[in-house]
Amino acid sequence: MIGVESLVKTFGSFRAVDGVSLEVAKGEIHGFLGPNGAGKTTTIRMIAGLLKPSSGRVTIAGKDLAREPEAAKRELGFIPDRPFIYEKLTAAEFLRFHGGLYGLEGAPVEARAHELLELFELTKWRDELVESFSHGMKQRLVMCSAFLHRPQAVLVDEPMVGLDPRGARLIKDVFRVMSRKGVAILMSTHTLEVAQDLCDRISIIQGGRIIARGTVSELQALAGSENPQLTPVFLKLTGGGAFQEIEL
Amino acid sequence: MTAAFPFLLQPIFWGARNRARRRQRGDGLRAALFGGIGLLVAAALFAIAFWLTWQLVDYEELGDYLIRLGLGWLFLTFLSFVAFSAIVSALTAFFLSEDLRLLLPAPVPKARLFYSLFSRTVVQAGWMVVAFVLPVLLGLGLAHCAPTVYYATAVLSVVPFVVIPSAIGTLLTLGLVSVFPARRAREVLMLMGLLFAVGLVLLVRFMRPERLLTVQSLPDVTAFFATLSSPVTPLLPSFWAGESLFRALRGELDLLHLSALWTTAGALTVLTRAAYGRQHFTAWSKAQEARKARFTRLALLEPLLRLLPLGAARRALLVKDLKVFLRDTTQWSQLLLIVALALVYVYNFRVLDLDRIPYMSRTLKNGYAFFNLAMAAFVTAAVAVRFVFPAVSAEGPAFWIVRTSPVRLSSFLWSKFWTGLVPILVLAEALTIASNHLLGVAPVLRGLAACAIAFMTMALVGLACGMGAEHPRFSAENPTQVAGSYGGVAFMVLAVLYILTCVVLVAWPVSLYLWYDYRALPIPPRDEIRIALALATAAALSVGTFWRSMRRGVRALEALG
Repeated sequence: MIGVESLVKTFGSFRAVDGVSLEVAKGEIHGFLGPNGAGKTTTIRMIAGLLKPSSGRVTIAGKDLAREPEAAKRELGFIPDRPFIYEKLTAAEFLRFHGGLYGLEGAPVEARAHELLELFELTKWRDELVESFSHGMKQRLVMCSAFLHRPQAVLVDEPMVGLDPRGARLIKDVFRVMSRKGVAILMSTHTLEVAQDLCDRISIIQGGRIIARGTVSELQALAGSENPQLTPVFLKLTGGGAFQEIEL
Repeated sequence: MTAAFPFLLQPIFWGARNRARRRQRGDGLRAALFGGIGLLVAAALFAIAFWLTWQLVDYEELGDYLIRLGLGWLFLTFLSFVAFSAIVSALTAFFLSEDLRLLLPAPVPKARLFYSLFSRTVVQAGWMVVAFVLPVLLGLGLAHCAPTVYYATAVLSVVPFVVIPSAIGTLLTLGLVSVFPARRAREVLMLMGLLFAVGLVLLVRFMRPERLLTVQSLPDVTAFFATLSSPVTPLLPSFWAGESLFRALRGELDLLHLSALWTTAGALTVLTRAAYGRQHFTAWSKAQEARKARFTRLALLEPLLRLLPLGAARRALLVKDLKVFLRDTTQWSQLLLIVALALVYVYNFRVLDLDRIPYMSRTLKNGYAFFNLAMAAFVTAAVAVRFVFPAVSAEGPAFWIVRTSPVRLSSFLWSKFWTGLVPILVLAEALTIASNHLLGVAPVLRGLAACAIAFMTMALVGLACGMGAEHPRFSAENPTQVAGSYGGVAFMVLAVLYILTCVVLVAWPVSLYLWYDYRALPIPPRDEIRIALALATAAALSVGTFWRSMRRGVRALEALG
């Protein structure tokens, strides 16, 4: 559903993404992990159509993002790490506008917006300005907008930042339900517990290259770790296990 | 399929409607104040255009020639203004606006996104020109008893006239961002624009246009008009707009020039759209990938500030404030404009020929000294609202650093006060002393004015600092927004009241003193007391304004919780 082939992005002489290839199947939740500066967000921004790749190809539901950008984007829901929402619009107005961008209008979009606001516990805030929302509420509103047009694939950059445990639990449940309905989800996160809990497969990126890919148990085997937790596996694979002694 | 491009502009209208419905404190005052100023300016423009045309219609051929020339120049001036403004507006709309992060991943056809961004650019670049031109054209039409076709032509020519330079500006921006990162390009453009404005102000003033009003310079007037007519070339849209309006004044519909305007506007829009289609995504991606920003290291700043007898915390605040200010081109470059205006202000006094009226010159000069004091204080207030009032808000989301550090909020606010006071005091004193010197006012008045402006600067900077702390806007995108907020407007109202009261309190006793001095009479003890009381009240008012504002500011910061 989400296909990435040999994606490269160079910033001047710096190669931020270096030949990344990925395939997220229908109904799969694919974790995209890596240390800071590994190239996760750059890759995700290229898949979302926010950044032009230096080379490589992105397809969404079989549609080439470079050749048929509108058709490809119509199948995609995007939840960025720093979402933009018009502060002077109400939640309902924002969703109405978002629906319009995807060609939805009238009663169906109102009904869908109502359903999602209910799901993400924002109904009583639907007519309040976004500027009065907390970070978590804004995050939930962005989730509403990402699922509004019933996308076949969803791209998520750091979904749990700023969410309380109840909100985080809600998001996890929503992702699971969407996945069961056949939505492909590519999720970048630093919260390894979430990745371990949710993802069918995980890709680990470092220095712009995919260094490991597989299920949690496959990654454990790759790292030669017997620890059932993902954190030591991640640290071993990315070489971040050593701590520097500092005077505190 | 997404809806047509105006749909993409809906958040702007919805946002404006929501703002109007949920008015915040001071919105009404601000709207009334700015609306009132806008209406006044429009009325003044209308009156000037009406009066000038009224005078010119009496001189048949010469009058017509001058109206034609005036229209050509009016549009020529605005052509360059809109083109430059469009470069900056297009940079913001096409590359820097936040909502692009939402719009670009959406399945919006390129053409629709282009038309939405381009219409934003046209409106942002052209609204001021339209607001300026319309009252002028209305005044011209009414004074000339123009037929209906003139008003229709006005609308039909102004629209494509604004689109043409906007399209050129957008094309230049698309080219520029393909070479430079967007933010760096904006800084360079802002600086260039400001230098251009500074140059223009100085050039116009140093040409001394007032000489044309004297009889001796009559031959120069003919040469002056000959020079004026030379840049009005038939190849520019400004000429087409001017000509269509001039013909319409006589009841003729100038289809040739109107068609030239509309076809050029259409062709340039199509060209810009094509350039957008080819270049925008590449240029946008390039704008995202700016490598390490180059910045001024200011290596000497810290060693120099170490010489000041300040504690570590105050020094750290001062170093941070100065570095942030000096590294922000959009901030410090505005100082250039202020310096240029100050130079023009002082120069005016140099060329002011009051000795032409000898019997009045002494009184006039001393009278001017008070006017000068008020003007210097208004300049101080304007600089304070722009640079000192937003000082607390400028901390923005980083204010938590100060609030969680072991720095008393009073120390923090006092640091802001001193950082603002020193440069503004130097500017105010330089303005007052230089202009009074050039004017040749009485020595006692020079000393008093220098002393008064010091007190007034202290009061105004204290007022700006304190009120800025009372009405912070940590979420504002730039200091101009803070200065235009409710608190900023309230500060300006209070500052004007304070300045007027203070000038009266200084002017009255000094005029009394000079009255006795001119007549070489001793001042009676009763008047001596009245003079001393008035001056003491002015000093007390200044100290009180400053002290109370700073205290209220500190309390407001402490009450933030």
